[in-house]
Amino acid sequence: MKGPVNYEIAFVYLTSKLKQTLVAVMGVTFGISMYVFMNSFMTGVNDVQTDLAFSALAHIRVYNDGPADNTDLVRKVYPEGTLSNIRSARVIQYTEGIKHSGEIIHFLRQQPELKAITPEVNVNVFFRNGANKVNGTLSGVDVENENRVFQSATYMLEGNWNALKYRNDGLILGSGLAANLSLHVDDNVNVLTADGNAKTYKVIGIFQTNVTSVDKTKAYLSIGATRQLLAKNADYVTDIQVNIGDFHQAEKVARRIAPIIPYKTESWQASNQQLEAGSRLRDIIAVAVSLTILLVAGFGIYNIMNMTINEKIREIAILKAMGFNGKDITRIFLTLAMVIGLVGGVIGLLFGYAVSVTVNHIPFRIASLKYLPMAYRWQDYSMAFCFGLATTFIAGYMPSRRASRIDPVIIIRG
Amino acid sequence: MSATIALRAENIIKYFDQPERFQVLKGISFDVQKGEFLALVGKSGSGKSTLLYVLSTMDTDYEGGLHVSGEKMTGKTQNELAAFRNSQIGFVFQFHYLLPEFTALHNVMLPALKLGRKSRAQIEEEAMAHLSTLDLRDQAMKAASKLSGGQQQRVAIARALINEPSIIMGDEPTGNLDSRNTQVVFDIFRGLAREKGQTIITVTHDEDFARNCDRVIELSDGRVISGVH
Repeated sequence: MKGPVNYEIAFVYLTSKLKQTLVAVMGVTFGISMYVFMNSFMTGVNDVQTDLAFSALAHIRVYNDGPADNTDLVRKVYPEGTLSNIRSARVIQYTEGIKHSGEIIHFLRQQPELKAITPEVNVNVFFRNGANKVNGTLSGVDVENENRVFQSATYMLEGNWNALKYRNDGLILGSGLAANLSLHVDDNVNVLTADGNAKTYKVIGIFQTNVTSVDKTKAYLSIGATRQLLAKNADYVTDIQVNIGDFHQAEKVARRIAPIIPYKTESWQASNQQLEAGSRLRDIIAVAVSLTILLVAGFGIYNIMNMTINEKIREIAILKAMGFNGKDITRIFLTLAMVIGLVGGVIGLLFGYAVSVTVNHIPFRIASLKYLPMAYRWQDYSMAFCFGLATTFIAGYMPSRRASRIDPVIIIRG
Repeated sequence: MSATIALRAENIIKYFDQPERFQVLKGISFDVQKGEFLALVGKSGSGKSTLLYVLSTMDTDYEGGLHVSGEKMTGKTQNELAAFRNSQIGFVFQFHYLLPEFTALHNVMLPALKLGRKSRAQIEEEAMAHLSTLDLRDQAMKAASKLSGGQQQRVAIARALINEPSIIMGDEPTGNLDSRNTQVVFDIFRGLAREKGQTIITVTHDEDFARNCDRVIELSDGRVISGVH
C-alpha cells in the first residue's frame, strides 16, 4: 500500500500547476531536441564530407611504385670508400603496372572487410580535338566495379555510365576537360599515348565530380579498350582500388595485407594525411559538441527539477510531519521527474526530428550539395532519449534525497 | 514506566545555534497520563513551541530522553519516527499547513492513505465524518488554498484525527478560530480525551482554553515553573 498514495501525490503536483509542469517539460524537450538536431547535423555534415572525399579516393590502393632508387648501385655491392665512376645510369628493364593482377584481386576478395574492389588501367595521355591538345589521365575501368567503389554513375551530367561497358569506342569526359576541348556528346576525340599510339573515340558521356582537378583532366574508357590502346595483355592493371566496410580501418587492413602483396599497398590515410586529419578533427568536434549539449541541457533539467523541489520544500516538511518517510518523498519527486523526463523526452524527439527535417530543406548549393546535410540515425535518437531520462533521474534524485533527509521542523519553524 | 503514562520527557535540553548559541530548554521533565488533556502555556519565547516540536518527534536535535506510549523515541531514525508519527501522533500546526493543491478531503485522507490500514472508501467516509463534525462538509471538495483561514485550521484538525492517534498535539490549534469554533474544537478534544482515551497536548495563549484543560504546565525561560505533580 506504499506506492499508490505517493503516485497520487505526484500526480496532483503534476496536474495542479500545469504551467509549471509544462515549463519543466519544455526544458527537457529543448535539451533533447537540440541534442538530436545537433548530432544529426554533425553526422550529416560528416557523411557528406566523407562522400566528397571518397568520390575520387578509394580506401586502399594497390599499385606499382616504380623502380627503386638505383642511382648508386655500386654502393650496394662494394664496401664504403670504393671509388666508382658511373654516368647517366639507366634502368634497362622494369615492370610497369601490376603483374598477375587476377591473383591479387582474388586474394583481396577473400578479405572479410572488403566491400568493393575494382582494377584500373590509368595512363597519362594527350586528348586532341583539332588544334586543341590537353594533357590528362585516361582511366580504363571495370565499369560495374568502378561504380561500386566510386559511385561514378551519380556524377554523370550527360550520357549513361553503363554505356561504357558496351561501347569499346566510347569515352566519358570530365566536364572541364570537355569544355577545354570544345567537345560535346557524340563528338570525336583523339587520344595519344606516351608510346605514340593514337586512336579516335566517341564522346558518349560527360561527368562532373565537382573536384575541379579531376573534372579538368580525367576521362573514362572501358578497361579492355584501354589495354588495347596500350597494347597490353588482358591481365594488365596499374591500380587496384579497394573499399572496405569502415574507412577508419583502412590503415590497419592495409598494414595487414601489405606483406602478402608484392606491390605498394597504401591506405587513404597514408596517401592523404590532410584528409585523415580533417576526418579525425570532425569526429572530435562532433563528440565535443555532443558533450557540451549534454552538459548544458542536463544542467538546465537539473535546475528546473531543483527549483520545483525547492518550491515544495515546505510541503515536503508537512508530508514528513504527517508520517511520510524519506523514501516516500524521494519516490514522489522521482515519479514527478521521470514523468517530466518521459513526456519531455518523447516531445523532444519529435521536435528534434521536425527541426532536423526543416534544416534539411534549407538550400545550400555548393559543390554537389543541394540542401544542408542531415543524418537520421536511430542511435542519435535513442542516445538522446536515454540521456534525457538519466539526467531527469539524477536531477530529480539529488534534490529529493536532500529533501528527504532534513528534519521537518527546521523548515516548518522557518 | 507505568502503562498509564502516554508520554515521558526526561531532562530535555535544547540549544539554538542561530543567531548565536542559546539554551532554549533547560532540562524539562514531566509525565503525561493517558487520556489527559494538557495545556502548555508561557510567554512568547518561553520555549513552549520548541518543547512541543521535540515532543512531537519532529525535532530530533535535543539532549535528554523522550518516551511516547512506552516506546523510547530518542535515537530512532528519521524514517522510524515518520512511521511512528503517522500512526501514533496527530499534529495541528499554528498555521494549519495544509497541502494547498489538494482538496480539503484529500488533505484529511493523506495520513490514512499513507498508513494504508483501511480501504480507500472507508478512509473517505471517515474523513467526511470528521469534516462534518467540524462543520466543513460543504467545503470538502474545495482546494485547501481556496478555504478561509479558520476553515483551513479546522481541516488541519480533521487531518490530525484521521488515524486515531494516541496523542494529539496542537501548536495553538485554535489561534485562528473564532470563539464558536474554538468551543467546537475544545469539545472535540475533550470528547476524544474522555471517551477514546486519546491524550491531548496543546500549546495555547487562550486563557479560557487553558483553564478548562485537565492540567496546565507553565514554562518560563526554558524551565517548567508550574504544573508538574
